[in-house]
Amino acid sequence: MPSSVHSQDNDQSMLDAQAQNQEHIEQDESVLEQKRIVVLPGATDTAASFQFEGEGHTLGNALRYAIMKNPEVEFCGYTIPHPSESKMNIRIQTYDSTTAVEALEKGLDTLMELCDVVTDKFTTARDTFNAEQADRMES
Amino acid sequence: MDYEMDIEPTGPQVTVREAEPYRVDFKLSSVDLAFANSLRRVMLAEIPTMAIDIVEVEKNSSVLPDEMLAHRLGLIPLDSKNCDQDVEYTRDCECEDHCARCSVTLSLHARCTSDEIMRVYARDLVIAGERANEWVGNPVITDPEGNGPLICKLRRGQELKMTCIAKKGIAKEHSKWAPTAAIGFEYDPHNNLRHVDYWYEEDPIKEWPVSQNAAWEHAAPADQPFDYDAQPNNFYIDVESIGNLDPDMIIQQGIIVLQRKLASAISALSGNADQNGIADEDMMGVQSPDAYEPREDGSYTAYANGGNASAWGGANATTPYGATPYGGGGYGF
Repeated sequence: MPSSVHSQDNDQSMLDAQAQNQEHIEQDESVLEQKRIVVLPGATDTAASFQFEGEGHTLGNALRYAIMKNPEVEFCGYTIPHPSESKMNIRIQTYDSTTAVEALEKGLDTLMELCDVVTDKFTTARDTFNAEQADRMES
Repeated sequence: MDYEMDIEPTGPQVTVREAEPYRVDFKLSSVDLAFANSLRRVMLAEIPTMAIDIVEVEKNSSVLPDEMLAHRLGLIPLDSKNCDQDVEYTRDCECEDHCARCSVTLSLHARCTSDEIMRVYARDLVIAGERANEWVGNPVITDPEGNGPLICKLRRGQELKMTCIAKKGIAKEHSKWAPTAAIGFEYDPHNNLRHVDYWYEEDPIKEWPVSQNAAWEHAAPADQPFDYDAQPNNFYIDVESIGNLDPDMIIQQGIIVLQRKLASAISALSGNADQNGIADEDMMGVQSPDAYEPREDGSYTAYANGGNASAWGGANATTPYGATPYGGGGYGF
């Protein structure tokens, strides 16, 4: 137990609190859809690490950014723990106004919308470009 | 001098700068570097295309060994129009081995009967049997003679007879499935953000020529202090297709693939949202140890500590020692 987090005079009440907390940790170790996303042990409502199977920097970095954009999120980071395993861990810590799972869902939704907007903008830009080219050909 | 960066545009912007049959060059603005890079990565490695995957050699009396020919055949670009929708992955298909819904069969049969050396080209691949749509599996032929890539040369009496099975796949598995030859990706051509540290003899500005994209942006004035808050905002992306997919389709497909990743993550999350699963160590899967993992005994490390309960913990200043939120189902606050 790092001394930086806990004071020197660990009293009895502190130990009680920990015992309850441990139960909570075990409960949170839930498995989501055949290992695709796993909540790593040690999660609480507002702070959790998710492990994505089969994902990498492609999703990791963009998702990290989208989650960080949420003002209710205190911290978000991602890592690929080992280069030869296709696993990506994402850590989310939020303020009390939301939960880590909610923040993750919101981040995914934000990215989804961003993708829609970029597709839309790209097709419009392409059509405008093609129309301009056609005009230039005629004149 | 007004910087484009300083104006807050409404959402992402796309400007197509050049478009050719096998290339599209566009500027993507007001998105984050992380997103632009995700798009680049997904276009490079995760767009499904068709490529020859299995070669059944019936006769090969050429000078090239079977496996070398199989490799060469694999690298031949095949038209992959609409293959994302129309073609199944063989591993997901209901069929026994492979069928018309998850593969295209191409046969190659050539024998040299003259004294001259015979060249076998991709155009000599003949589609055999049914296929998912009318384009899928056609060798991409762009040269004016209409030959396509050269596969092999045959001397008098030598013969090739083989059946090739093309399947859908992605470049992450093998680069023969790549839809792009290259993707140009640049931001901040003047290096205003100093993401690049150039090597130089005397003066990096004199020694390193700026790219074409530099004409689209202004260099930061030399007398201005370095803006350490600045973020990259304009991305110059040049997608060069191999010919199996149209360049604009590559970009759209790329975004679709990215969205599919997100959708699968969303469904994985929401599918079990209410279910408070029971702890199961076996389900954690095998993983190499890393420095970030919480301790096995479930003890309270700094890492596993809830961000709110820490001494530096954000909005509420509750310390773990004060009015503790523990107990009584008190995690909701």
